[in-house]
Amino acid sequence: MSAERAPGLLAGDSLNLRLARRSLGLIVLCLVLLPFADLAITTHDPWAELGRMLSGLVHPDILATESLPHAIALTIGFALWGTLLGVVLGFPLALLFSRSRLLRGGCAFVRAIHELFWALLLLQVFGLSAVTAIAALTIPYAGIFAKVYAEILELTPRAPVDALPEGVSRLSRFVYAELPMVWSRLSGYTRYRFECAMRSSVLLGFVGLPTLGFHLESAFREGRYSEAGALLWMFYLMIASLHLWGHRRLLPWIALGSLFLLGPWPDIDGALLWRFVSVDLWPKPLLEGNWNELWQWFGDIPDLLPAIGNTLLLGLMGTVGSLVVALLLWPLASRHFGNRPTRTAGKGVLILMRSTPELMLAFIFLLMLGPSMLPAWLALSLHNGALIAFLVARHADAIVPGNHALPASARYAYELLPRLYGGLLALLFYRAETIIRETALLGMLGIATLGFHIDSSFAYMMFDQAFVLLLITAALNIGVDALARRYRPREIANTPGHRDHPTGEAAC
Amino acid sequence: MRWLVACLLILVSTAATAETFRFTAIPDEDQSRLEERFDKVARYLEDQLGVAVEYVPVKSYSAAVSAFRNDQVQLAWFGGLTGVQARRLVPDSRAIAQGKEDAEFRTYFIANHDSDVDTQGDDLPKNVQGKAFTFGAKTSTSGRLMPEYYIRKQFGAPPKSLFSRVGFSGDHTRTIALIEAGTYDIGAVNFKVWDAAVADGRVDTDKVDVIWKTPTYPDYQWTVRGDVDDRYGDGFTDKVRQALLDMHDPELLESFPRQGFIPADNDDYQPIEDVGEKLGLLR
Repeated sequence: MSAERAPGLLAGDSLNLRLARRSLGLIVLCLVLLPFADLAITTHDPWAELGRMLSGLVHPDILATESLPHAIALTIGFALWGTLLGVVLGFPLALLFSRSRLLRGGCAFVRAIHELFWALLLLQVFGLSAVTAIAALTIPYAGIFAKVYAEILELTPRAPVDALPEGVSRLSRFVYAELPMVWSRLSGYTRYRFECAMRSSVLLGFVGLPTLGFHLESAFREGRYSEAGALLWMFYLMIASLHLWGHRRLLPWIALGSLFLLGPWPDIDGALLWRFVSVDLWPKPLLEGNWNELWQWFGDIPDLLPAIGNTLLLGLMGTVGSLVVALLLWPLASRHFGNRPTRTAGKGVLILMRSTPELMLAFIFLLMLGPSMLPAWLALSLHNGALIAFLVARHADAIVPGNHALPASARYAYELLPRLYGGLLALLFYRAETIIRETALLGMLGIATLGFHIDSSFAYMMFDQAFVLLLITAALNIGVDALARRYRPREIANTPGHRDHPTGEAAC
Repeated sequence: MRWLVACLLILVSTAATAETFRFTAIPDEDQSRLEERFDKVARYLEDQLGVAVEYVPVKSYSAAVSAFRNDQVQLAWFGGLTGVQARRLVPDSRAIAQGKEDAEFRTYFIANHDSDVDTQGDDLPKNVQGKAFTFGAKTSTSGRLMPEYYIRKQFGAPPKSLFSRVGFSGDHTRTIALIEAGTYDIGAVNFKVWDAAVADGRVDTDKVDVIWKTPTYPDYQWTVRGDVDDRYGDGFTDKVRQALLDMHDPELLESFPRQGFIPADNDDYQPIEDVGEKLGLLR
């Protein structure tokens, strides 16, 4: 993309040209690396299974489900308490966030490990209990809240503080002149996080905690599709009706009520806990101080480098795929295109795609296409692309178009996209970290990312190996996040005045 | 603030529960109505043992082992390999009973017809090489350990270098579904699950067929923690064993699914332990 060879096309220093160069760079990188990805289509006869699946979705059988109310209550209880404790831990940390590098590093680390992996780790100590579930949400959420709250607090307008007389204590200043200015943003973000927690809480069922996901995954895995259909609809309904029951006056009562269902609380065996933390998690050669053997130990981790390569590659492919999907799909839900019925349908499709757990999408594609990286790529692209498209459409609706005579394609290309593209890219880059977290997760389906080997290590009870792989995963995520932050279009991402928090809404 | 205090009080009050005897079972196949079915088993054990008995559902093989290790369950219906894992993690725990079928368990290798693999012979057909292959769960004895052992024994090579792809379906029912869909050409399944699927018509035998049956090996067993005699009274382990051996109600046995239970001990599973170590799944 040198300026000499293509004068006028991509050269220049204007914002959108820089954004275009960045996007094209990303796409070219992805295309160059694509041959290294395993994208074969191998299935020959998926239609019978897919037919059964579809008929299950169309004819859900609520009576086939078991202990559904209990599972729903637990899903909500875990999400609520996980978020609540995350706030309790995260808010004080946010106040210290900008002062301590160590704290920022710690928060980045706990954020970088997916809730499901936290759950797998905690499961070994607290067993299948509410402690595991709530802590698996609370730990990463505390890190997230610390960061996002700190960013929101940074945006506090200075004027009210400046207007205070001298000698007002630090606390009064904070409570009366700073907090009220950002309160709506803080509570808006917290509320949004709670929605994320609902999704995560369902996911926790996939590793065995008794939420809706527990039953959903079993039914789906074993081909009881009408039961799976009923559970999936129930899940959509729960997310869609959140604004009805998620009222701030109601939530404390729900939180209290759910406490009665969360037990029995585990007796924590101190000796076991200590052994787990001090011995099980660490490679034996390391504890013995034997460096040669430690090297050998690392060599024994199967396919470590390919797994790292696959994780990064799938992350890149997922990011580029999401970009393409978002570009194609956002007009579906925007007031500038189509008519009321098409918009409602478009919105529905986008919400459905972003609400469906990626693992489930990936499994459907796995049946259709075979066990390569392709199903995971499609699942990541569709899920994340739909999520970004939905937000972009909302931003687009705030734009008042100038020339109504333009045809739709011209309105898209010349009028709206240039104004939206920066925001879209900012969302995408913000999302990149989440995408790479999710690639690790898709490993649980058998795609050879780091997550696959983490899952295996837990299955073989080799916790030291699992722990080291988790550390590598976290390091990768932090690296990708740093890279994305560096190339994220700052001009747009940091504009205050976006609803709630600039890009925080793309975070789960 | 006031309701936070209330919460804490509630937490403390629910933490104190009476000692209940809990058990679990690895989720190897059909889990529909799982709780309903196993609650019946719990009621039966309650009558026989004279203590409160509760069934704890688990999602994965490793979750079953973790629950056993963490003392969340004191008794578990494990597979061969998961049982060995659990007994290594919990000293003094013992295998007490196995299913009548488990002394001579088998794995079936199944193939999609379109994959053109030769049908049954004395060995695994030669032309499975280069096909796509799936195991079941990663620590399943019949879906992973023993099939891998026999593959290596016959071909002298690990599955990864033998097949074009090696997957882990996660459970036997899904293995059958994936082979039927042609996602993989060949798979290894628990023979009981296959027989049940054929009997119920859940699999289309025009599309999928058995291509090889492994020799027999020991598999599922009941394992109990070593400290139960101290906690639930002298001779409790023997009582549990007797209750299992006396279980004759077909409705209860169907959950496992077994014709009945026979005594077993840790030594019966030495062959599984040896193979597990050889394949690097135990260390």
